[in-house]
Amino acid sequence: MMVAADPMHQFHISRLIPFEIGGWDLSFTNSSLWMVIGVLFVIGFFAFATSKMDTIPSRLQSLAEIWYGFIDGMVRDVNHDDGKPFVPLVFTLFSFVFVANLFGMFSLPLPGAHTFTPTSHVAVTGALALFTIGVVIVVGLWKNGFKFFKIFVPSGVPGYILWFVMLIEIFSFLSRPISLGMRLFANMLGGHVALKVFAGFIPSLAAGLGGLGMLMGGLLVMPMVVGITALEFLVAFLQAYVFAILTCVYLNDALHPGH
Amino acid sequence: MSDDLNKRIAEAQDKLAAQKRPRNGSDGKGWSTGYRMASDFVAAILVGAVLGWGIDALFGTMPWGLIVCLTLGFSAGVRMIMRTANEQANAPAAENEDENA
Repeated sequence: MMVAADPMHQFHISRLIPFEIGGWDLSFTNSSLWMVIGVLFVIGFFAFATSKMDTIPSRLQSLAEIWYGFIDGMVRDVNHDDGKPFVPLVFTLFSFVFVANLFGMFSLPLPGAHTFTPTSHVAVTGALALFTIGVVIVVGLWKNGFKFFKIFVPSGVPGYILWFVMLIEIFSFLSRPISLGMRLFANMLGGHVALKVFAGFIPSLAAGLGGLGMLMGGLLVMPMVVGITALEFLVAFLQAYVFAILTCVYLNDALHPGH
Repeated sequence: MSDDLNKRIAEAQDKLAAQKRPRNGSDGKGWSTGYRMASDFVAAILVGAVLGWGIDALFGTMPWGLIVCLTLGFSAGVRMIMRTANEQANAPAAENEDENA
């Protein structure tokens, strides 16, 4: 009899190469492995796709150009010409998140081995979000000095209520890294759990109700699982897109703090 | 000769841009706005709760820090949603008139 596996098992971190420095556990885990694979894939893909540059692009080259042009266009839309130095940053963030999200959607043709979604852990997405906000703060202070703090002082607010609005602005600034990190991790985690739970209905139904259960599982649940899988691919892209565009929006605040 | 080519490229791009504009906004932008609003709202309230709780734990002012910060967090969440909505509403106009916003 088949029993649906624990839906959280796919997020289990296992140490591949145990490693410790001064009490800190810095092991190379399956999460690290899939991050490395993602990074190597992006580097390899772009190196390979741009190795033979042609005026009339090959399919791979054109894919790389669309990928790059998408981010370039996004940064240009949001940040106009000031954003040019940040295209590589946004591109790297987008590509990493996108590939990490996407690789978690595939399964391996090996028994016992499965892919891992690094972005389903808040440690990874939180670090990415803090890094992004850190860049925003550094860029803001570097480009504008103390004028950067104008982002907390919206223009056109009467003086007697300004302190209150400033408090609210500080709160919304503080909530940015949390919003950024939480959205990505929650979507990846939630999506994968939902997928696993719904897929687990099929063997449970078959085990519980026999032939009728198999029929129901096949006719009702399986199409839904296929649909959710498609939705998850969309979410994998959308979350990377949202992460990238919010990086642009926040950078825009850093570059032009006066609203 | 190359000027002529450049002009033709610019014309073709304008034409393409004019064709593409109507379906602008249906390519994941709505989704991303939705995700953004939802998580901004939740995150602001979370920040308020955690900050309020922390202040209370530090200074022993049990309910008051939480009450004040939670209210502020809620306001910040609502304000962020409104700002995002305003940005979205103003975006198409800003796109057409370019730097006028």
